[in-house]
Parts: sequence; structure tokens; C-alpha cells
Amino acid sequence: MLKLFIIGIKDLKIIFRDRAALILMLLAPFLLTLGMGLVTGRFSGSSTGISDIPVIIVNLDKEQLGNALEEVFTGEELAGLVEPTLSESPEAARKAIDEDTAAAAIIIPAGFTRSVIPQQGAFDEEPEALKIEVYANPARPTGAGIVKSIVDEFISRIEEGRISGQTSIVQMIMSGRISPQEGEQAGMEMAERLEDSPSSETLAIKLNTDTNEAEAVEFDVLAYLAPGMALMFLMFTVTYGGRSILAEKAQGTLPRLLVSPTQAAQILGGKVFGIFLTGVAQMLILIGATTLLFQLKWGDPLGVLVLVLAAVFGASGWGMFITAIARTPGQVASVGSAIMLIFGILGGSFISLEMMPPVVQMVSKITPNAWALDGFTTLALGGTLPHLSTPITALLTMGLILFVIAVVLFGKKNLVTK
Amino acid sequence: MKKLFTIAWKDAIIRFASSSELLFFIILPIFFTFLLAGGTPSGNEDTRIRLVVVDQADTSISREIFAELEKSTAVRPEYFPLEEAEEMFEARRASSLLIIPAGLDIASIQNGTAELDFRKQPNNLNATVAERAVQTAIRRVSSSIGAANMALEEAKARGTFESREDEQAYFNESLELAQTLQADAPERVTVIEGSTPDQVEYDPRANSSAGQLITWVFIPLFGISALFAYERQQGTLRRILTTPTSKATYLFGTIAGQVFMALIQMSLLVLFGIFVMGLGWGRDLPALFVILLCAALAAGAIGTAMGTFVKTESQASGLSIMAGMVMALLGGCWYPLELFPAAVQNIVKILPTTWAMQGMLDLVLRNGGLVEILPEAGVLLGFAALFFGVGVMRFRYE
Repeated sequence: MLKLFIIGIKDLKIIFRDRAALILMLLAPFLLTLGMGLVTGRFSGSSTGISDIPVIIVNLDKEQLGNALEEVFTGEELAGLVEPTLSESPEAARKAIDEDTAAAAIIIPAGFTRSVIPQQGAFDEEPEALKIEVYANPARPTGAGIVKSIVDEFISRIEEGRISGQTSIVQMIMSGRISPQEGEQAGMEMAERLEDSPSSETLAIKLNTDTNEAEAVEFDVLAYLAPGMALMFLMFTVTYGGRSILAEKAQGTLPRLLVSPTQAAQILGGKVFGIFLTGVAQMLILIGATTLLFQLKWGDPLGVLVLVLAAVFGASGWGMFITAIARTPGQVASVGSAIMLIFGILGGSFISLEMMPPVVQMVSKITPNAWALDGFTTLALGGTLPHLSTPITALLTMGLILFVIAVVLFGKKNLVTK
Repeated sequence: MKKLFTIAWKDAIIRFASSSELLFFIILPIFFTFLLAGGTPSGNEDTRIRLVVVDQADTSISREIFAELEKSTAVRPEYFPLEEAEEMFEARRASSLLIIPAGLDIASIQNGTAELDFRKQPNNLNATVAERAVQTAIRRVSSSIGAANMALEEAKARGTFESREDEQAYFNESLELAQTLQADAPERVTVIEGSTPDQVEYDPRANSSAGQLITWVFIPLFGISALFAYERQQGTLRRILTTPTSKATYLFGTIAGQVFMALIQMSLLVLFGIFVMGLGWGRDLPALFVILLCAALAAGAIGTAMGTFVKTESQASGLSIMAGMVMALLGGCWYPLELFPAAVQNIVKILPTTWAMQGMLDLVLRNGGLVEILPEAGVLLGFAALFFGVGVMRFRYE
């Protein structure tokens, strides 16, 4: 066990003395994370989330329903979601949208309330239906869509009230419970009662809303990008380690070790342990650096540590597998670099896997990057170790299968022989 | 001339000594171009917030609710099994979760026991938006039943029914009337699309083709530094001193050879863009040649300058991969430059990748010609002159 540990530590020291290796192990993922942070606006305060959607409200109605819609947008409930501005001029509001200063303008026409709720004494007349105009900004489709959905919900609420009231009154008149003359008064009384009751209670299907009790977490885009880059270059580290096994074999230092009272399994185990240690050190250094320099919150420390160990185990499995099938250190280097890049793109380091075609999402499951990135995202969103059972199991299984295959192939190649 | 050709041929032999070089020369660039062309946001994808829906009822009403949610402009409902949905919610990969419990049907709505469970993450705006969309959907589905229920309650408040059958008949008539009123309900919202100009000129295929071309050509050209380091380590550079070959001839031969290989690589990727991806790379061939050549010269010059700073081949190799990737990222080769913050857009103008990308997009995306790409070509030649100058000044055989 001690020999295995000594060989592992020796390899760890060698790799951390190699400036060239450090460029790709530490500097490249760090700079790419920094670059990703810059281009996504993480360091300049730009928000990519849905909040403070600028919306312009032109209330020309100035009556019950127009004012109610205005209150929906200016009220406390939507304070974080929308940033309303009131305007008196529909033309100015439309111009502001055309100039991309807001996501949408809501123009409530004069007389809107009267077009929905007939005035006293005018219940027999069918008022002309006026329309609220949502002037949407095509350059901000998400924000405009959300504004539209809020207006839709408001309209569906008032329509529900109107249809309920009208149905009740007409039915009571038809059944003789009230006279046509009493209809108007009954309608007014119902409207007052509906106005006093909270909106959700008027729904025929009750919506039980339950807010997750855990503390709210705001997702940091860097919490996706940083592990993505670290995991991509982890593949470089594990193949670099594998390359050193073949290099030692070629240089004769590996067989020479067997002159000492050391078993082949101890030597190979020590080399693999060295690769594992290097990968863990690389990941922990990158995590530490991004935590300190970018104030990046990786999440539950225990979860992060266990996930790092599992991810490095899975990646080391690939490193050993590539080493086992390659003939020369040069082959390991070039195949390793190619695998690093392929796993990087398939594993979601460049683009979120959700944007990839389904077949790519399926193929990505063979990469340690995809599983580990899934785990790191879960942690960044407030998850803890128990939430990581799937990615950790997948990474450990992947590593185990690949190690077994590698050991069988090493045996066939008589890699460590006197 | 013969010496130049010999030096270039020697470098080609060294570079392609291993067949694995083909991976980086053509296979991986095509793989990346293809994947990124399909995977990067096109601006036409569904940007609505995902709403995880578990339908345990599987009734006409539950399906109506889902159909109403699909019409929403804010959320995009997706069915999941309960266990998977709860796992996603617990792991916070879903901002909200709608569970339609078993037994939701017209009868349950009529007798007032119909309930849906909605779970949302705290202080999450997406969840708030989703909750509103769900309320709108269930309101639309249930409003006529709700109206009939209310009509029945109002009637009961003003007198009793003689029998249970009468009460049901009254409900049925009210439901029919409410459904008629709902069907005849006038449109009360109109959406007009503004004429805001779209700031982002973007086509995933064109951007991916140009961006990956630059990435995969710049990295090996930066790798000229590794060639110098390799020859310096092997001592072959010193041996050249014994031959009647000037420093300029050697440098020019090395760079010309690598630039020529880069032009072949770029041509292959351009042909892939034209014939497989249907891109208009070939609209103005002289302009295409000018921008490709200028980009290759700029990258080759940077590789030459880098070669005078690094000591070993592996250092040079690592540095060229790193510099290539970082410059490609910041130059807009992976993500559209227009999406970057304004300050970053200005800062990245110091990179050759930015100008190469702009020049190539002028051709393939904006249908430009020789005149349009001249500014970018000029800047790239400026980069080439500057870094060749540095490289030649600092170049040492030992």
C-alpha cells in the first residue's frame, strides 16, 4: 500500500513540475472560464435571467378594469418580474418599443371597462368589444411573451366573471326566480361579491400551491461554465498520466522498477493512483481558484468533494482505456486530445446539452463530463449529496467498467513485465 | 524557391507523420461544425419556460389543461412520470411542477373537489410566471363549469329545487349557456409586433462554419511555435547554420508551408460548408481567397512570434491550443459577438480572430464582397506584419 502511495505521489510531483502540462491542466480551463464569464456578462453585471422586464402601460380607460390591469403590473406581486412605466401616449409607447427600450407596451383603450361591464341602465345593450393592445418587441420574445400571458390571465379572469354573472342572471330570469327588471340589480350585487373574493377562490379547479421550503438559490451562469471547462481539461490530465505509463515502458524505467521487490500490480496501481491524485488536485485547484477569484458558489462542500472524486474516477477509467488501446505515448497524446475535445462538446462544456439534438444527448451519457456537469449544476442550484446519487453511480460504474477492460488489455499487452 | 519548397515539404512530412493528425486537420473540425450548427441557439427555438407536468388523471379535462398550457406564450409544458418530475424538482432542475391528480374529471369540478397541485421553487420568477400560466389554463378549461356551478348556487340562494333531477337539469342548462357564451366571447386582446430591428445577425450554420474554420486553422498555425521549439530541441536549427540558408529563407519557408497547408484545410472546410451545409461561401471567390489568406498570415505570424518565446515543444503545443481556444471564444467564433456585453465587444477588437470572424461573416452571412472585407483584411495584414516583425527580430537558432 505504501509503495502504491509513493509511486502515486511521485507521479503527482512530476506532473506538477511540468510547466507545459500545467498550461493545459490549469491555465487553459481557468482562462476559458474567465472568457466565458466575460462573454456571458457574468463579470459585467448583465443579467441573462428573466427579471425586471421593462413594460410600458398606457391606461386610457381610467376606469375599473383599466385601473385593475394597471395595478396588476404595478403591484407588489410582480415587482421583481416587471419594471412598469406609465405613459399617456400610445404613439410614444410604440416608438419606445421600436427603439428597443422595453419588451412590450400595453395600451388599454378608453371605454374598455364599459365594453365589458355594461353601465347602469344599459344592460340590455351589447357593448362593442374593445381590445387591449399588446405592442410586442420582437427582439425580446421571452419578455413580451410573459407580458402577454399576464394580460391574458387578467382577461380570462374578467371573462370568467362576466360569463358567470351573465349565466346566473339569464338562468334565473328564464326560470322565473327573478324578473327581467331585477336582473340588473342582481348582476350588480354579484359583481360586488366577486370583486371582494380572491381570484384563486373563484376557480372551479382549486390550485394548491406549495413553495419548496429550501432556501432560494439564484443560479450563477459561471457555475455551469467553470465545471464544464474544468471537466474538459480533466480528460487531458488523465490521458497525460496514461501517456507517462507508455513512456516509462518505452524508456525502460517501468521494467526496471520490477527489479525492486515491487509487484507489477503495485506499480500499475501506483501509476493509476498518481493519475487519480493529479486529476483530483487539478479539479480542487480550479474549484478553489474560481471560488476565491470569481466568488463562485459551487454548493454543498461534501457533495462537491464526492462528485470530484467520482468524476476523476470516471475520467481516469477513460484515461486507462485509451492507454490500453494505444501503442505509443504519441498516440495517447493525440487520441487523448481528440477525446478531450469530443467529450467537451458532447458533455456540454461548450453548449448546454438541452440545446443539442436528442441523439447527441443520448450519446453524451458515455462521457464523464455530462454526468459530472449534471451533478455540479444540481449542487449549484442548492442540491446536496443525496441528490447526486444518479451522476455519482453513473461515474463510478463507468470508471469501474473501463478499468476492468483496461486491466484485461494491459494483461494481454504484458505492459509491466521484467 | 527550391529551398522554400523543401523546407515546407519537410514540415508537412513532420506534421503528417502520424495519421492521427488527420483527426485535427479535417475530422474534428467537421464534427464540431456539424454539431454546433445544430446545437447553437438560432433565435427560432422555443424560449418559453419549461413546465414539468405529471398527469395522473389522464382524463379529457387533464388533457384539455395540457392543451391550454401548450397554447401559452410563457410556458412550455412537458409530461414526465411522477418520480422523475419530483427528482428534477428536488434537484432544482425544474422551477415548478404541476401534478394533475387521479380523479380529476367533470364530476369532481361540478362537486367542487377538483384540485391540482402546483409546486414552485421559492423566489423564482420562472415559477411565478408558470403559476400564472397554469391559473389561466385551468380557468379556461373550467370556467363554463364554474359558471354553471355559480348559477346553481345563485338559484339555490333564491329558492329550493323540487328534486335532485331539477337541480341537475338547471346545472346542465346553465352549463350549456355558459359554454355558448364562452364560445361567443369576443377577443379582448390584440398583439401587434413592433418593428424593432433585430440586433443579432445570426445563422447557426454560417456562424458555426466560419467559427470552427477559424478555430481549427488558428490552433495549428499557432503551432508553428512548436515546430521551431522541436527543431531547436533536436538541434536541427543549428545545423541549418552550416548550410547557405538565411534566417529569412528558413522562416519564410516554414511559414509559407504552414500557411499553404492552412489554405488547403480551410478550402476543405469551405467545400464542406458549400456542399453539405448549403452555405454561400463561393459567391465571391477572390474575396474569399483574400480573407482566408490574410487570416492564415495573421495566425502564422502569431505562431512565429510565440515560437521565439517558448522553450520546449510541449510548452508550445499547450500554449497554442490554449491561445487558439481562448481567442476563438473571445473572437465570437463559438458564440455570436453581438451577444457579448458592449464593453467586451470593444475589447475583443484587439484579437485577430474577431476580425477574421467578421470578415468571413461579411462573405457568408451578409453577402458581402471584396470591398466589404477589405477593412478586416487590412487589420489582419497589420497583425501579420506586427507579429512577423517581432518573430524575425527575436528569432534565434539556439
